[in-house]
Amino acid sequence: MPDLQKLYDAVLNGDQKTSVAITREALDAGTDPMVLITNYMVPAMDEVGRLFECEDYFVPELLLSARAMKGSLELIRPLLAARGDEPVGRVVIGTVKGDLHDIGKNLVGSMLEGGGFEVIDLGADVSAERFIEAVQTKNANIVCLSALLTVTMPSMRTTIEAMKAAGVRDKVKIMVGGAPVTSQFAEEIGADGYSDNASSAVALARRLRAEATA
Amino acid sequence: MTSAAASSRQRVLDALNHRQPDRVPVDFGSTSVTGIHVSVVAGLRRHYGLEQRPVKVHEPGQMLGLVDDDLRDAMGIDTVSIMPAKTSYGFLNENWKPWVLNGLEVLVAEGFRTTIDTNGDTLLYPQGDLTAAPSGRMPAGGFFFDVIVRQNDFDPEHLDPADNCEEFQPIGDADLDVLQRSVAAVQGCGRAIVAGFGGTGFGDIARVPGPGLKVPRGIRDVTEWYVSTRSRRDYIHQVFQRQCEVALGNLERIRQRVGNSVDAVYICGTDFGTQSSAFCSVATLRELWVPYYREINNWVHANTTWKCFKHSCGSVERFFETFIDAGFDIINPVQCSAVGMEPAMLKEKYGSRLVFWGGGIDTQQTLPFGSPAEVREQALRRLEIFAPGGGFVFNTVHNIQAGTPVENVVAMLDAVKEFHHA
Repeated sequence: MPDLQKLYDAVLNGDQKTSVAITREALDAGTDPMVLITNYMVPAMDEVGRLFECEDYFVPELLLSARAMKGSLELIRPLLAARGDEPVGRVVIGTVKGDLHDIGKNLVGSMLEGGGFEVIDLGADVSAERFIEAVQTKNANIVCLSALLTVTMPSMRTTIEAMKAAGVRDKVKIMVGGAPVTSQFAEEIGADGYSDNASSAVALARRLRAEATA
Repeated sequence: MTSAAASSRQRVLDALNHRQPDRVPVDFGSTSVTGIHVSVVAGLRRHYGLEQRPVKVHEPGQMLGLVDDDLRDAMGIDTVSIMPAKTSYGFLNENWKPWVLNGLEVLVAEGFRTTIDTNGDTLLYPQGDLTAAPSGRMPAGGFFFDVIVRQNDFDPEHLDPADNCEEFQPIGDADLDVLQRSVAAVQGCGRAIVAGFGGTGFGDIARVPGPGLKVPRGIRDVTEWYVSTRSRRDYIHQVFQRQCEVALGNLERIRQRVGNSVDAVYICGTDFGTQSSAFCSVATLRELWVPYYREINNWVHANTTWKCFKHSCGSVERFFETFIDAGFDIINPVQCSAVGMEPAMLKEKYGSRLVFWGGGIDTQQTLPFGSPAEVREQALRRLEIFAPGGGFVFNTVHNIQAGTPVENVVAMLDAVKEFHHA
């Protein structure tokens, strides 16, 4: 049995090679995959988020840790799916129609995965119809909309309106973010939450899930 | 040319040297980060009753419109622009031809060659070569091109810094001729000359994917680049070192052609700030970037009278002491809406050592979405804060974006005039 503290350290330090190697070793030794996630990987990503919040970590460190986490999750996910384990939440994420910027969206997606969510990433320049279809077919709990441009912010509003018209708005919580987006704008367009960075997006998603399941 | 323009250069020089100018100088259109979207330029030309003609797109990525002399006069602009001979997409800005952007007829350079894909998106090609993989994409109905990342497989154990330096080559005589002719054409116009010679932007994320290259090699993916600034720092140093050596040689050749006709030079547009934080620590900036910034800026100061212009969006106050230490004279765009960028504090702490080129009005909320009254109020407040003692060139926080109401731009410019006459 490997020293699982090293898995925590590897995710925290963004060392994908080590995190994957230890995960593989642990799974081969019969460790419950959920234990790896809950006891080591999620706490490591929480610490990454804390370090990001207090500006010891920055975007490159966040990306490296998310990669390490992702590498391990690729080994774990099929095992969880095979035994029917559910993630803490299922998130559909995308940059809205007309906007091709995806760095912020990718960061949020990675951090949500690190927080134990299953993330369905629709990419950039995503139409309202594709968001609606994903909500309908992926059993999502949360939809995350991203926009970097002032000219594409209105697509957030039209996406939410289209979700209402399609009757799927109330099936999910909607989070919005991106450089020009504000909490006031989020409120105006009827989103459920706004986050100004990837780390606090995880806290917001957890809060929204808790509210929905309370 | 109006008589006001005759003193424009002096006004800018006073501001750059932290002396009180007769009035606050104004820039729009002198760089790729202080410009105006072509659709808004067209709207301003209509508003001011200027000759109706298609506006030239001089910067294809952001679709910035060329601000001609008649519009400069109408807007009270004190600067003119010298751009590199080639755009970031690798083609020359010459031989203009018509093109239509969402129903608006504009002019684009001959090398601006596009196709439409199956989604209706417009694709733009490096060096105008339709046989190469496209390097820019404008979504259907969009207003800008975003760089398409074309990341080839690479062996992380055998990275060659030359691959990431393909776009940083010794400047050729033809490009020098263009620069020399451009400077000669505006020399003596009375306005301050602001030049972007290219080649000194270290790790500018808009350029990392190599939009002007037919087959970019090395690390070209944006995420991979950010990660590499942490995990492959030696490699990034090697890239910057090579780039710096070439840039210093180019600057000397350019200096021989244009001398001290240029007043400010755009050095680097690498963004270090986000809305609420930064992309790296101060220690990382000092370790990874400052050695090269210092070499470039020290050379400029030792050999020319040019002032060194640094652009960085976001929450970057924490870096200001380092920027000053690295030899930058000018900071842009002064994003006052970002965390820790309160204008009065910035003016008080750095106003005697950094020129604020920007900060005049917010372009994420107030200018595009506010009322003309809100625009006026914010512009006047910023002028009151930044104007005293010089060290301020009025400009918006980054380019004026597509969709910005012309009446708001006019309200902003009227506020500048009102401030001058107050």
